[in-house]
Amino acid sequence: MIDPSAEKKARVAAFRRRLGKVQVPIALGMTLVWMLLFNGFQWRWESLGLFVLGFLVSVTIMLVFPLPPIVPGFRFHPLSLAHMLVHILGKMFTASFRVTAWTLSPGEVHSSVIGLRMRTQSDLMMVCTAIASSIIPGTVVVEVTRDEWMLYLHVLGASDEKGIEEARADVMRLERLIVRALGTREDIDMLEAAHPSGKERG
Amino acid sequence: MSEELITVLDWIAILCLLAGALLSVVAAVGLIRFPDLLSRMHTAAKPQVLGMLLVLVGIGLRLAPVEDTNVFNVGTLLLVGLFQVVTIPVAGHIAARVGYRTGRIRQDLLFRDELADRLASRRDGGDA
Repeated sequence: MIDPSAEKKARVAAFRRRLGKVQVPIALGMTLVWMLLFNGFQWRWESLGLFVLGFLVSVTIMLVFPLPPIVPGFRFHPLSLAHMLVHILGKMFTASFRVTAWTLSPGEVHSSVIGLRMRTQSDLMMVCTAIASSIIPGTVVVEVTRDEWMLYLHVLGASDEKGIEEARADVMRLERLIVRALGTREDIDMLEAAHPSGKERG
Repeated sequence: MSEELITVLDWIAILCLLAGALLSVVAAVGLIRFPDLLSRMHTAAKPQVLGMLLVLVGIGLRLAPVEDTNVFNVGTLLLVGLFQVVTIPVAGHIAARVGYRTGRIRQDLLFRDELADRLASRRDGGDA
C-alpha cells in the first residue's frame, strides 16, 4: 500500500522538477505578448498588475505544456539584429517586385529546387533561416532534413545556373546575417570556420 | 500633434494601404495564372506578406494620432504582423512538402531538382 504522505512528496518533487524547467527568457517573451494584447504599455497602475498576471499565466502554460529547451540558446546582438531586419525588409521589397513582374508578364516561369547545407548546426538558426527565406518572395522551403542540416528550397525564376548560384548566395548571406544577429558564440565560430574567407559575399 | 503632421501621416497611410491592396491583387492574379502548386505557393504566400505588413503600417499610421480606443492599438497590430510572419512559413512549408511528395508538381517547369536526387538515392539505399 502506498503511503499517502510519500505520494504527496513525490508529487511535490515532480512539480519542483517541472518548475525548474521553466525558461525565464521565454516566459518574459510570452509576458510581452500578453502586455501587447491588453495594451499594457501605458504609465498606469494596471500595467504592473498586467505584467505580474502575464508572467504567472506564462509560467502556468509552460508548466502544463512543457517543451524541450532551446539548445544552445540564443544571444541578441542589437546592431547585427538591426542589419538583419533591414536586409530582410529590403529583400522583401525587391523580391516582391520581381515576383510581381513575373506574375504579370506572359509566358511560363521556370524554377528549380536547390538544396543547401547549413553551416551552423543549431535548430534555432535553421528555423530562423527557413522562416526568413520563406517570407522573402521567390523562395519556398520544400524540405528540411535535420540529420544532414540541409534546406531544400523551391526558387521561382531560377531557370539557369546563374540564377541558381544567385539564389544560393542569397540564402547563405541570410544565414550569415541571422547567425550574427541571434547566434551564440559557438554558432558564429562555426560559421566563420566554414567560410574563413567569407567567399560567399561575392 | 499639429494638423499638418496628421495630414501628412494620413497620406502616407493611404499610400501604404493602396500598395498593400495592390500586392494582394497581384497575389490573387498569380494564384490563377501560375500552372503548378509550387509556383502558386509563391504568389499566395509572398507578395501577400508584404502587402499585409503595408496595410498594417497604414492602419498604424492612421491610428497613432487618435490612440484612445483601447481595443485596437499599435500593439495589436504588431502582434498581428508578428504572428503572420511566423506562421505563414509553417503552413507554406507543409503545403509545399505534401505537394512535392505526392507528385503534384510539373517536372517540365523545373530546371534542376536536387531534392529528387536525394530522395532517389535514399530510396535505393533503403532497398539495398
